[in-house]
Amino acid sequence: MPNVIKSPRSLDIDITSRCNLRCKYCYHFSGPGDVDTDLPKEEWLRFFVECGHYGIMGLSLAGGEPFFRKDLPELLEGIIANRMRFSLLSNGTLIDDAWAKYIKETRRCNYIQVSLDGSRAEVHDQLRGKGQFDKAVAGLQHLQRHGVPVTVRVTLNKLNYHDLENIARFLLEELGLPAFSTNAASYMGLCKLNDQEIGLDVAERSALMAVFADLVKRYPGRFSANAGPQADLRMWSEMERARLGGLAPAHPTGALTACGCVFDRMAVRADGIMTPCTMLSHMEMGRINHDDLREVWQNHPLMQSMRARNEISLKLFDFCSSCNYINYCTGNCPGVAYELTGEVDHPSPDACFKRFLGAGGVLPEIN
Amino acid sequence: MTSDTNNKPMANPLIVLREEFDDWAILFDPDTGDASAINPVSVFIYKHLDGKHTVPDIVAKLRKECEDVPENAEAEVQEFIQQLLDKGYAGYEKQF
Repeated sequence: MPNVIKSPRSLDIDITSRCNLRCKYCYHFSGPGDVDTDLPKEEWLRFFVECGHYGIMGLSLAGGEPFFRKDLPELLEGIIANRMRFSLLSNGTLIDDAWAKYIKETRRCNYIQVSLDGSRAEVHDQLRGKGQFDKAVAGLQHLQRHGVPVTVRVTLNKLNYHDLENIARFLLEELGLPAFSTNAASYMGLCKLNDQEIGLDVAERSALMAVFADLVKRYPGRFSANAGPQADLRMWSEMERARLGGLAPAHPTGALTACGCVFDRMAVRADGIMTPCTMLSHMEMGRINHDDLREVWQNHPLMQSMRARNEISLKLFDFCSSCNYINYCTGNCPGVAYELTGEVDHPSPDACFKRFLGAGGVLPEIN
Repeated sequence: MTSDTNNKPMANPLIVLREEFDDWAILFDPDTGDASAINPVSVFIYKHLDGKHTVPDIVAKLRKECEDVPENAEAEVQEFIQQLLDKGYAGYEKQF
């Protein structure tokens, strides 16, 4: 197992479980991390002192909607006072000019990620509610005007996949963003309840990959993805190239080597419970201000078991038997694997290339 | 700002010394987001930038704690501290 750093470099914190929206695919609102009440500001401020003491460099605040907390400025000041930087994941609808100005003046913001799921209101609002597109774009433009680093995340799903080219043009040309990232509605949280309506099928995923293959030529270097069709396209193309060329895999593969986040970061739920990842909110490892952060990071059995996953060979799974890609596969996201199979130590069926091809999926022609 | 063998440099308290593993560390400037990896000897030096030690003091401690410290160690320590001074990661206490 690789060396484990003494403390995480960053933390993903759900600073609130409350939100002004109920987006159809939100990964919250039907899991153990969803609590009725938020921790009081004093608890978070106390925890930030500990984070600073252990040299954590950045906190990513999500939720819920971080801007829903009236005391957000005081929380950010606590982060700043303890020599850290922050980023915020937001739906953008509550960000006004004053917020953007304030964020800029902190000088500690890595970026604000605004979720935008369409190139126009008709697409975005059917996922997030009437009027939300205009508010999100306004929030984004306030941030741009004040020079706050801003990025956009597009969550692809059945209701917006046809709009991807327009989204790219809107974000990159009209709004002038340097880049944006994509993922896909994953089978967790509210998405589980709305899967029939919004989950991508194999044909839609294939279509999206074809569009991405074209867009990356038109807008080189201006897309990123850790999940969803764009990430699948990159990963599966690499796997296919390596297999056909008899090449060594580019990354550690053949075992549950994904994901590497647990060597770098961990998460805290809105109720202060520490977990390995926001996608694994059922894996409770202790509570902030009660359990020592560094001790949990270094020695908690669940953290250690997550790190030991990369020693579990894919050959041990019936699921992977007779797969031509087994030596090139990482098993992908344990959070999605858990939601789909009930097991964390299992390859994710959602990211299985063999299953995708078996269901009629088509990978765009690769070089 | 330049270093001097009689001065006693101090680490900038706003800079984070983040210890990672095998005694390596990162110097992190939260205002810029810049992070630089430093080796165990540099970590040792950085920890002695407390306004109480001159460069010769630090080198003497280094020779006591470590084996095979090269002849030109003082010049190298001086150079490292100068780099820190140039980046604003260290400074000298001002007497008024």
